Amino acid sequence: MDKIKLRQICFYFACVAPSVKFIVYPATLTYEAGNDLLLAALGSFLAQGLVLAAVFWLSSRTDKTFFALLQGAFGKAAARAVYGAFALYFLFSALLPMLEQRSFVMLVLYENVPSVLSYAPFFAVSAFACSKGFKALGRAADLALPLFCTAFAVLIALAVPEADFGALLPVARRGAGIFRGGLFGLNWHAECAYPLFFLGRFERNKGDAAKVLLSFAAGAAAVLLFLAVFYGVFEDIAVLRQNSIAHISKYTTAFTSLGRIDLLFIFAMTLVNVFALCVPVQMCVHCTHAALPRCGRLWPALAASGALLAAVLLLNYSFLEMQQLVTQRLWAVFLLFAYAVPLAAALLFGLREGKARPAPRRRAPQSRRKRAPRSHRGREQARRIHPRKCRGRERARRLHAEKHLRQKRARLHTEKRARARSARQGAPARGGREEGA
Amino acid sequence: MNLFWTRVLTIAAGVLLLLFLSNDFGLIDIQKTAVVAAVGIDAADEEGRVDVTAQIAVPDASASEKAGNVTIKNARTVGDALAEINRKTGWYPTLVHCRLIVLGEATGGRDVFGVLNYFLRSEFVEDSCLTAMCEGRAEDLLSADSPIGELTAVAVTKVLSSEAQKTGLVCVTNLRDFAKGYYSPASSGFLPLLSALPEAESEGGGQSAALPCAAEEGGTGQSSKEGGKKADVFDASRTALFAGGRCVGVLEAAETLAFNLAATRTDFAYGTVQVQQEGKPVTYELKFKIRSKKVRLTLDGGPAALFRVRANAQIADASRASGVVEIAKTAFVPDFVLRAAEETLQENLRSALAKAAAGGCDLFALRQKLHRRYPAQEERYAAGLLQAAQPVFDIRFDTVH
Repeated sequence: MDKIKLRQICFYFACVAPSVKFIVYPATLTYEAGNDLLLAALGSFLAQGLVLAAVFWLSSRTDKTFFALLQGAFGKAAARAVYGAFALYFLFSALLPMLEQRSFVMLVLYENVPSVLSYAPFFAVSAFACSKGFKALGRAADLALPLFCTAFAVLIALAVPEADFGALLPVARRGAGIFRGGLFGLNWHAECAYPLFFLGRFERNKGDAAKVLLSFAAGAAAVLLFLAVFYGVFEDIAVLRQNSIAHISKYTTAFTSLGRIDLLFIFAMTLVNVFALCVPVQMCVHCTHAALPRCGRLWPALAASGALLAAVLLLNYSFLEMQQLVTQRLWAVFLLFAYAVPLAAALLFGLREGKARPAPRRRAPQSRRKRAPRSHRGREQARRIHPRKCRGRERARRLHAEKHLRQKRARLHTEKRARARSARQGAPARGGREEGA
Repeated sequence: MNLFWTRVLTIAAGVLLLLFLSNDFGLIDIQKTAVVAAVGIDAADEEGRVDVTAQIAVPDASASEKAGNVTIKNARTVGDALAEINRKTGWYPTLVHCRLIVLGEATGGRDVFGVLNYFLRSEFVEDSCLTAMCEGRAEDLLSADSPIGELTAVAVTKVLSSEAQKTGLVCVTNLRDFAKGYYSPASSGFLPLLSALPEAESEGGGQSAALPCAAEEGGTGQSSKEGGKKADVFDASRTALFAGGRCVGVLEAAETLAFNLAATRTDFAYGTVQVQQEGKPVTYELKFKIRSKKVRLTLDGGPAALFRVRANAQIADASRASGVVEIAKTAFVPDFVLRAAEETLQENLRSALAKAAAGGCDLFALRQKLHRRYPAQEERYAAGLLQAAQPVFDIRFDTVH
């Protein structure tokens, strides 16, 4: 089964998801909300946090997958239809960030004009990652943590001396602009739908929601800090700086003798962004695989990556048109799939499942867990090996012990049979074989 | 994974790396790319047109950089001129390494952002490049000979370095800062005013010919003049003020220093003070270490610009002979010299503020402060703020203890 660890989900929200908001999002937000960009972003983060809290509330009440929940409530065909719709949505939501990053790579990482082929290898990476399921997503989140933390810290440290935070004043003077900024930025705040598909695919414990929400808050704080520094550096011309991550740190005086060392950290952030861009495609492949299990994973992965490559080639010179279309006209798609459906699903299934299955109890770490009295050990052991109670490492240990026992029994049985056979045939048989040899 | 697939994947990874790193599939061959180190823009004779000079760095095997200047006359726009360089020379000019934009004096007569917007539009141009205005034509300035045998653009960028800014000699501005000022509510800004002074003569590495001893040694001086070639030095101690993109005034060197001491990132500066001592004028060269500075706008009892500067000073030099003890105690500045320095700074600041206000240039960002701190009263005060704001000085120089 396609599994992911809670730690990896936390890392995704803290480190991977913020990286897609460092390219065009700040300038787009500034265009609508001006110096109130922080308020617009904060509104989006609060809305996302609400959806995440609802989804993890649902996860605390059931260990079924979203597909199983849909199937239980509406039947298999409806579940397949919903997953199919989500597959299309995820494919659509992956397009604009990809065009964004393609443009970023072409403009920032090359000194002269590269061909469109230069970005094509990304789709090979994407196809590979998608064919591996959530395991690849989780591993990418693990890898992204040190890269993101180092790159973000250095870039911000280089940019902060150039930032004038007074530029964020006066606060809350653009009422409608703040609202529009939040609405038109939904494309960059669509990751709150992903945990819906992680349901039943990670080990549940009490306090999961708090851990994920804290990680999400850390990622949100990083984005808000970045936005504040970005606006502080560029003030009224912030709207002109499209590839913001490439610009904020280049004014430091150290570069007069060292050159642009910040590019090293921009490369690291670009790598994290590659992981982030693969996630919606992975979700698309996951949904396709769930809706059409006979297809396997490889073919949907190749098809999704191929379709996106074709779209990127086709829209090579149409980034601005696509940006306007997706952010200003199709924001309702994101509102529906990333916010309304997860929220409705959490409420609907949470209330249904809550009566049937209580939330899991938190288990203390091994070191702090009290050892049961001798008289209770038998009961404790019985509780541990109970198939509905035991999980994770205990389950692995039990399975290993059972396997070992089976092997031992089989070996004993074989030896016993061999001894019986030799007893029946008597010593000459062995001697005869030796003679024959 | 068997050996076959391992080999296939290794080869594929190699091909991908080649694709990423070599840029052999780029649309423009790097061999046909002209690296533009500086751009000079002048107003053309024909109204609304520009003359654009691109200083192209030519890499040389001897590790010494050479430059070639290409000038396109009467271009409609800067972008048009750069495209014409490509058409006429076959080289595709890349501005990624452009570190200097020089505006000719005549461009200041109209909105300079008519020509500078090209650099803001393009992602291929770094907005961290230094921007300056020059006396006369930018084409002539970029054709000047550097006294130390390097690109003119490199010599000018050294004059406009961040170190020059820190010592208060020059108001260094890059394109981003200038654009921020232009697109702010005050629509104001400032640029260093460059002038090429034909003073130096160089021979090989370059040597100044202004030494009096050289004139006395007749033969040596003569040979130096004959064998050496004329070279120019660059001065950027004056500052051009802009309002609405037009040049509206010029700050002199002392005013530039005062502005830097009060409002910019200068934290270590040299300044001269004249005092009467024993009935004779004596000039002291003081070294200032700025401890804190702030320009505030207050609206209590009418708009006022409050300048607060705290600095430590010590004597660097004096125009009269001093006793050995006095030289040893160079860290101790007489009180009357400190007060005279404060007075000088106040006078220069008042003069700079008056010049800026007369031209409508918001040199000390008062309009911006009004917008940020007093948004409710912005409408009331915005129109005549620069003229109405009275300077209030709270300047104190201390001697080192």
